[in-house]
Order: sequence, then C-alpha cells, then structure tokens
Amino acid sequence: MNAPATATAPATPGVDWADKKYLIVDDFVGVRQLLRESLRSLGARHIDQASSGGEAIGLLQRIVYDVVLCDFNLGEGKNGQHVLEEARIRHLLAPSSVWLMVSAEKSVEAVMGAAEHQPDAYLIKPITEGVLLTRLNRVWQKKQIFSEIDQTYLEKDFLRAAKLCDAQIAHNKLHETDLLRMKANLLMKAGEPEQAREVYEKLLQDREYNWARTGIGKIRMANGDHEAARQMFSGVIAENRFYIDAYDQLATSLHNLGRVGDACDVLERAAKLSPNSVPRQRNLGNAALRLGNIPLAEKAFRKCLAIGEYSIMKSVDAYFGLARVCGHKNDPKEALQLLAVAQRDFAGKLVDLRAKITEGLVYHESGDYRRARRSGDELEEMLKSDAERPDTGTCLEMATLLFAVGVKDAPVELLCYVVRNNHDNQLLHEDVQRIFDKARMSDEGAALIKSARKEATEMMNKGVLLWKTNKLDDAVAWMREARQALPDNLRILFNSAQILISHMQAKGYDELLMMEANGVLMHVDRVAPGQQRFAQLIEQLQMLVPGRAASPEEMEAELDAALNEQVSGDS
Amino acid sequence: MEDQPGSPELFMFLASTVHDMKNSISVLSGTLENLLVQSQGTAQENPAYPQMAHMLYQTKRLNDNLIQLLALYKEVGKPSYPFEPIAVQVREVVEQLASGQRVLLQSRHIELETSCPHDLIWTFDEDLVLGVLVHAINNAVRYTKDKIRLDIGENDGVLELRVEDNGIGFPPSMLEAGAVVGQGINFLTNSSGLGLYFASEVARSHKHRGRQGSISLENGGTLGGGCFILRLP
Repeated sequence: MNAPATATAPATPGVDWADKKYLIVDDFVGVRQLLRESLRSLGARHIDQASSGGEAIGLLQRIVYDVVLCDFNLGEGKNGQHVLEEARIRHLLAPSSVWLMVSAEKSVEAVMGAAEHQPDAYLIKPITEGVLLTRLNRVWQKKQIFSEIDQTYLEKDFLRAAKLCDAQIAHNKLHETDLLRMKANLLMKAGEPEQAREVYEKLLQDREYNWARTGIGKIRMANGDHEAARQMFSGVIAENRFYIDAYDQLATSLHNLGRVGDACDVLERAAKLSPNSVPRQRNLGNAALRLGNIPLAEKAFRKCLAIGEYSIMKSVDAYFGLARVCGHKNDPKEALQLLAVAQRDFAGKLVDLRAKITEGLVYHESGDYRRARRSGDELEEMLKSDAERPDTGTCLEMATLLFAVGVKDAPVELLCYVVRNNHDNQLLHEDVQRIFDKARMSDEGAALIKSARKEATEMMNKGVLLWKTNKLDDAVAWMREARQALPDNLRILFNSAQILISHMQAKGYDELLMMEANGVLMHVDRVAPGQQRFAQLIEQLQMLVPGRAASPEEMEAELDAALNEQVSGDS
Repeated sequence: MEDQPGSPELFMFLASTVHDMKNSISVLSGTLENLLVQSQGTAQENPAYPQMAHMLYQTKRLNDNLIQLLALYKEVGKPSYPFEPIAVQVREVVEQLASGQRVLLQSRHIELETSCPHDLIWTFDEDLVLGVLVHAINNAVRYTKDKIRLDIGENDGVLELRVEDNGIGFPPSMLEAGAVVGQGINFLTNSSGLGLYFASEVARSHKHRGRQGSISLENGGTLGGGCFILRLP
C-alpha cells in the first residue's frame, strides 16, 4: 500500500497532494494508521487524526483542512454526516476543501438525494491507494469546474450561474450530467420552471435519472397538477426505494390532494429508511400531530430530540411539538419543562413568542382554560412591547390561539398585519377569513381584510407613481417607509429593489443603494424563495457592479423590459 | 412493502458487524501489503514471502466474498439496492484496479497488461463494476500462469470489459454456469457460482435505451486462457 506513488495513477497536473492538510476521522486506530500510511505515500506531511466526531469538530475549529477522510460510522455520538453538516454550517471548511466519506459498504446515504450537505465523494473500505488518488483528483477537477458556478450561486445570481453551467458543458463532457443537473436546479431557483423542465427532459432522454424525474414532478406540483406529480413520485420510488427526496415530495403532493393520512404514512416510511434526519422526524411529528395521531407524533419528536443531541440541525420545533403531545396526553407539567429547555437552548425573541403560544395551546388542549387565558394575556403584552412580527404561519397560529382563549384586539391586529403583507394572496385571505369566522366575526373580518388590502395597495401605488414620474429620490424614500410598515410584502419589496436599481441606472452606481437593494432582495428570498422576479432583479443588480457592467444596449433593453413588466404587473 | 429483510434489530446488528469486519480486513490486507513491499528486496531468500503473498490473496478473496454477500443480501438489482450510475472516465477504472492489485500481482509474479481508449467516458455504478472486476482478476490469479490482461473498449454502443489470462482456461462446469447465469436457473452450489451470480446481477442492473448488461465466460482470447467478459450498455 505504501509503494512509491509513481507506480499508481498519474497525478493530475496542477494538484500537489503532498502540500495539503489532511484530517482522518475513524474510531478504529488500525484503520487510521493505514490511511495515514496511504496519505504519506502520496507525499502528505500534514496529517491529523480524530477518533470521534467531537474530536474532529475540535480540530476543524482550529485548522482549515484541504482534505477530510471521515468514516460514516463513528460509534456512539456524532456520525460522519453529523460532522460534515456541522463543519459546513459553521463554516469550518473552505469552499475548496474536499470531504470524502468512508463507509464499510455501499452507502444508502449516497443515493438518498435528500441530505442538503453531501460529501464530495463516498469511498468503500478497504480503501486502496489507487482509488484514493483517483477520487481525490476527480473531486479536485470537479471543484475547479464548479467553483465560479458555486460562487455565483452563493451570490444568488441564479441566471448568471445557469449561463456559466452552459459555458462549462461545452468543454467538460465528463461532468455534463452534473452541470445540467445544477443548471436545472438554478433555473428552478430563478423561477423558470419551464426552462428547468426542458433540461430535465433532455437528461431523461438519455437515462432514467431519478432526480430528473423527481424534478419534473416538482414542476408539475408547482403548476398545481398534484395527481400527475403524485404518480411521478410513486414511479420513482418503485424504481429506487432509497430515493428519499421522492418520498418527501410524494408526501407533499398527497397533502395537496387532501390525502393527509396517506401523506403521513409516506413520511413514516421515509423516516424508517432514513431515521437519523432531524428535519424528517420533525416533519413526521408535525404531520402526525395535525392528524391527531399522538403516539406517532410522540415517537417522531422524541427521536428528533435524541438525534438533535449530536446534530447541528437540532430543531426547536421538536420541543414545541413534543410539548403539544404532552398537552394532548394531559401532562402539562412535562410540556412546561420542555418549553423551559427550548428557551434555554435556543435563545431569541421568536423562540420566547412561540414558547408562549405553545404554552397557551397546551393549557387549552388539556382543558385548563383559566391558565390558557393567562398565557393569551401574556402573549398580548409581549406583542405590545415589540412591534416586530414573526412569519405569516406563526402570526396565524398566534391569532387562532388568542381568539380561542378570549383575547380580541391583539389577534385582529395580527390578522390585518398578515393581510397587509400579503395583499394579493387570495388563498391566504380565505384562511384569515376562516379564522375570523371561527371567532364569530365574519362581517367585521371581511371589512377588516378589505381595508387592510386597500391600505397596502395605496402604499404601493404611491411608490410606483413617484417612480413613473421620475421622482426617483422621493420614490426611494417612500419605499423605505413602505417597507417599514409592510416588511414582508413581496410586491413592495420587489418594487423597492426595482426603484433602487432604476435610481442607480439613471444616476450612477452608489454602494449604499447597492447594499440596500441587495438586502431587500435577500430578505425576499428568505420569505419566498424561487421567484422569477427575484432572479431577474439580482441579475440586473449584479450588472451594475463596477467592472461587471454589460454593454449600454443591453442595459437599455433590460430597462425597457423591466418598465414594461412593471406596467403590465400593476395594471 | 418490506423495508428491510428481517427485523430492524438484526439489521442493525449485521450493519455494525460488517463495519467491524471491514475494519479488520482493511488492517489485515493493508499490513500484509506493507510487509510484502518491505521484504520485496529479499523475496528470493525469504521463505515467508510466498506464504505472505498467499495470505494476501486469501484476504482479498475474503473481502470480495464479503462485498458480494452484502450486495446480494441488500438485493442488488432490486429497487431496494442503492444503485448509482455516474459518468466515469474509463481509464480511471483501469488505474484504480491496477494500483489496488499491484502488490498482490507482484508478489505472485504475475504481469498485468491493460488496454483502454484514453478519453472514453461511460456511465455505470463505479463501485459495483470495480467489485466485479476485482473479483474477476482475483479469480484469474488462481488460474493464470503468469499473465493477466484487462482490456476495455467500446463495441457497437456497448462497453466491453474483458479479464483474460494465460492459464489452462475455465473447466467445462464453469463455462456451463456462465452460459446459464442470469436466466433464473439456480446454480448456487459453490463460491464461483456466487461470484458469477453477483457479476450477472450487477451487469443486469445496468440498463440503457432498452438494452441490458450481461456477462459471459470464454476460453481462448488474446492470451489463450480463461476470459471473463462484462458488457455494459
């Protein structure tokens, strides 16, 4: 195994594996020694070792490694995937770092397609030097090919990144499939599902890729064709039982078809195949809770907490979910303990707010209406003391609870806030109306919804008018005010960014305006990812960056296109 | 729908046992390779050298059989198996095989010839195909006189991977088993049967544009001995 490296695969020109920093993570000392010998025969000098996930994280915090060789199965505690996720999320790795996951047998994780954080390659034991060197070179080359695409992806300039994929495909036959897969993914993020579908279909002509088939299913689902999507996902699972992403999508399509029980069954099957995923157990718990299947919900949330011990993906949702389960089981005491732990382990105003909501729900569900009312009053006080509001889902949940325990002003205020921030979302208005109906406020609620919508429309129109009459400074100032009042209103946010861009196109680049526009768009992408207008505006914004400007004709054409779209969008 | 054969507890136990066994085999074969490389200069007068070479051969066989048993246990070829075809530069397969088998072949004074188009790219499950070829080479180690040839090339839209040797060729019973493998006939009477069955399942998992992979055994070929052929569409 440690014969001279010259006899093995010829090293790719440009990679000097001798100079890199290596970390070996394995719980078995004999294997660590062997791997170290192999690396030394590649010329490596800087090799560190860890015998557990915790030890590995300790080293990763201090040193940025070029190559990590990590066993998936590390005995008690964190497994290899947990270590990888933590390292990526805490930015303990450089973008150029190579992560090779080692396992005893062909890994199911490799083909699950669900984990957000994938290693660069999987290796099966025993690892021979030739396999190691070949895979290292391959991953290194792939990283070179993807480096600019990945960087542009991080900047969220999805359309430009998709064009970069095309440029690479032209001279990288070996990575063509990966590049096309990335391109389709980018087009989805850019809100261009039709173009993404074309890419997937082209790929499927060549080979039956389960991820491409699943991708088309997702597009069908986004177009509202849930039955067709359901059939596609079922088909993928029939062909490849480990492709977990298809299970998650199948559950969503069943949910959209109103088959909530079937959706929960699918999630349960997925959780059996991949039991160590925090998000999956959490989704199962929430689905079971909604269905009233308390034993299943309890099992899922408890599992979620157990995995969370080792995982950076540890989720506060599991504590809230399990507290609700305790409420249903008439055990408010354990519920309160869980809420206290949640607030201790996850700091933040939103967590406090959600803990208080859950407390109220637990009392309400266990029939203690006096205490539930007290929680409601406390919640109202919390809302009064802080003008900032959480996401739409939490607001609706809060309003429902507050009405149920007999509070009136605070939920009305919350619901109006939600409508103002989503003034053109008909489905949401229906949800809000239903909450009013349940609180026996049907007529009053309808009037409130109407006036909240009007308020938002007026704010938006004033900004558009200032912009169209070319009062760009006033328009920018007005939109700042509008954003303050309606921080999550997509139309307001998009118009804000558009006006800021117009300002710079007309009056020249300004770093502060640039940062403001970028901030607005990043907020949009958090609230509602995958919007077409987001991708277009980001692309326009990136073109304004000095040194990256497009030709004047292109700028003009884009300005015209943007103006036309704006006019038609508001008519 | 059955998720795992047997109970989950048994499955967990098997998984962790496999993990242990793989570690032990890694250390065994790694240590033996190191010892063989270190004593290469004195191989002629060292009586332990051929014995170590034989130990390495047996360790490799053990590993092959374990890989195959596992793959068959997890039902390779069925929807429950994690099958993952990717685009591979074919010459990299040759490089990985040649370097992985180098010490074993040197210790038994066997020469490995390889031939493969430089820029050919093919899509297949790399780990499974490597597993099949390693097994074929180890098998050839047993039968060959002093030469093994690995020849990969494209033929009418099919990738043909040939492992040939200059021994006396396969016995008629093996050729017979090779001819009927994959036709649903049960021939699992010995470990070469297992190897053939595994190879055939791996081949058949590869499907492309209405065609399916296959294996066959022949006598003759370039070197005049046994010849194992894996064909992938």
